Amino acid sequence: MAGDAVERARMSQPDVVTMTGIGKRYSTAKGDDVTALTDVSLSVRDQETLAIVGPSGCGKSTLLRLIAGVDHQTEGTIQRDSPDGGFVVGYIFQESSLMPWRSVYDNVRLPLEVVGRSDPEAIDELIRMVGMQDFEKAYPIELSGGMQRRVSLARAFVHKPSIVLMDEPFTGVDEFTKEGLQHELSRMIRELGATAMLVTHDIEEAVFLSDRVLIMSPRPGRILAEVVVELPKERDPSMRSSIKFFDAAREVRERVLEIHQVGQADPAV
Amino acid sequence: MSRSLSRQAGYGLSVLSFLLGLVLWELMVGWFDVPSFLFPAPSAIFEVYFTADVDWLRHTLATLRTALTGFTIGVVFGFALAVVITLSHVLSRMIMPYVVALQVLPKVAIAPILYIMLGFTNTSRVILIVILTFFPIVINVSTGLATVDRNLVHLLQSLGAGRFSVFYKVRLPNSLPYFFDGLRIAVSGALVGAIVAEFVSSSEGLGFLILNSQYTFNTTAAFGAFVILTALGLALYGSVVFLGWRVMPWNERA
Repeated sequence: MAGDAVERARMSQPDVVTMTGIGKRYSTAKGDDVTALTDVSLSVRDQETLAIVGPSGCGKSTLLRLIAGVDHQTEGTIQRDSPDGGFVVGYIFQESSLMPWRSVYDNVRLPLEVVGRSDPEAIDELIRMVGMQDFEKAYPIELSGGMQRRVSLARAFVHKPSIVLMDEPFTGVDEFTKEGLQHELSRMIRELGATAMLVTHDIEEAVFLSDRVLIMSPRPGRILAEVVVELPKERDPSMRSSIKFFDAAREVRERVLEIHQVGQADPAV
Repeated sequence: MSRSLSRQAGYGLSVLSFLLGLVLWELMVGWFDVPSFLFPAPSAIFEVYFTADVDWLRHTLATLRTALTGFTIGVVFGFALAVVITLSHVLSRMIMPYVVALQVLPKVAIAPILYIMLGFTNTSRVILIVILTFFPIVINVSTGLATVDRNLVHLLQSLGAGRFSVFYKVRLPNSLPYFFDGLRIAVSGALVGAIVAEFVSSSEGLGFLILNSQYTFNTTAAFGAFVILTALGLALYGSVVFLGWRVMPWNERA
C-alpha cells in the first residue's frame, strides 16, 4: 500500500538523534547522589515529532539538555546526525525567554548570529509565519504573553536546526491562547519539515503535536511505553475532538496510570 | 492620592502644596518675628544670593567637581570589580569578605582618618566619595551579571557560544537595569561624601560654606547652600533616571 511505502521511506531515513543506554547521575549541593535518568534509549527520526510525557522531576528536561550538549550524560552514548552536516538545535522553553533588551527582529536573529550566519530572508519568513511582521521593532515588554511566545517559536526555527527541542513549551499560557499556539507550532514543524522533540506533562499537548509519545517513569526516569499517534501529519484544532485523538490520549493516560500503580506497589521502581 | 486623580492634576497638587508651604513659612517667620539666625524666611534666603559676600558659583562648582570625580572613579572601579567577581569564583570568594566588611561600616566614619593617611588634599575628599559610590555599584552590577535567565544561557551554549559570548550577549545587557539602580544610590552618596569631606577639612565648597556659616551665625547663608544642594541632588538624580530611560527603552521599570 502507498501508506506503507511512505512509512518505509520515512523509516529508512537516518535518525537525527539516537540515545543508547543513557544514564545521568549528579550530586546535589548537600552531597547526595541523585540518579536523574537510567538506561534511556530512544531515537528521533527525521521529520518526526517525538513527545515524552512524564511527571515533574522525572528528568525530561535533562534529556533535552543532553541532546543540546549543554549537559553531559554519565552513561551511554548519544549519536547526533544531520542530513546537511552540522548538528544544531532550536530551543523552546517553558517561558518565552526572550532578551528584553532586543527587538523582536533581533531576538529572532539571535541563533543565526551565534552560529555566525546571516540569513535575512529566513528572519523575515519566520517573523511572517508567526504573524509578527508589524512588530519587528517592538521590545518584548510591549508585547502580550502570547505574542512573546510566537516570537520564541520563530527564534527556535530561524537557523534551520537539526532538531527543535521543546521543554514544556506553553506552561502558564491560558487555555485559549495555548491551543492557538500549539496549532501554530504544529503547522511550522510541518511546513518547515522540521524534526522535533517535546517533553511535557500535558497529555493532550503531547498527542496533538507528536507522531509518537514515549512515557517516562518517575525518577530515576526511564522509558516505559510507546504510543503511536494515528493522526494525519497535518494537524488542525478540529482533530482534538476526533476519535483517534481520544484513543491516543486515552492510551497514553492508561499507560501513565499503569506506571503509577506499579510504582506504588513496588517502591523500588 | 485618590485613584481618579489625573496625572496633570496630581502634579498640579504637588506644586500647589509646595508653594503653599513656602507662603506659610514666610508668614510664620513674619508673624512670630523669628530672627533669621534661627530660621530665615524664604525671601531672606532668596536675598542672600545677592547680598552675602560669598562666591556661590565657586563653592558650588568645587563641591560638584569633587562629587563627580569621586563618582566617576567609584563607578568605573565598582563595575570592573563586579565583572571580576562574576568571572572568577576564586577571586569572588577572596574579595567578598572585604566588600561585605566595608559595606556594613558607615563609611563617612573614616573621613577624618583619610586625611591623616592621604593628606589634607582634594585626593582625600575624592577617595571618600569613591568608597561611598563604589559599593552600590559592585553589589548591584554583580547581582545583575549573575541573575540571568538560565534558558538564555543554555540556548547560547547549545549553539556553541563560549563564556565570553554568554557574558557579552546575556550577562552584560542583563546587568544594565541593576547598574542604573546602583547609579541612583551612588549619585546621592557622592553628594553626601562631598559635603562630609568638606566638613572635615576644606577651604571651599558648599560643605565649607555651611560650616563657615555656623561659625559666623549666618544661618541664612547655610540655607542658601541647602537650596543649591537640593537642586544639585535633583539634577544629578534626574540625569541618571533620564539616562536610564534613554539607554534602556526596553526596561519594564523605566
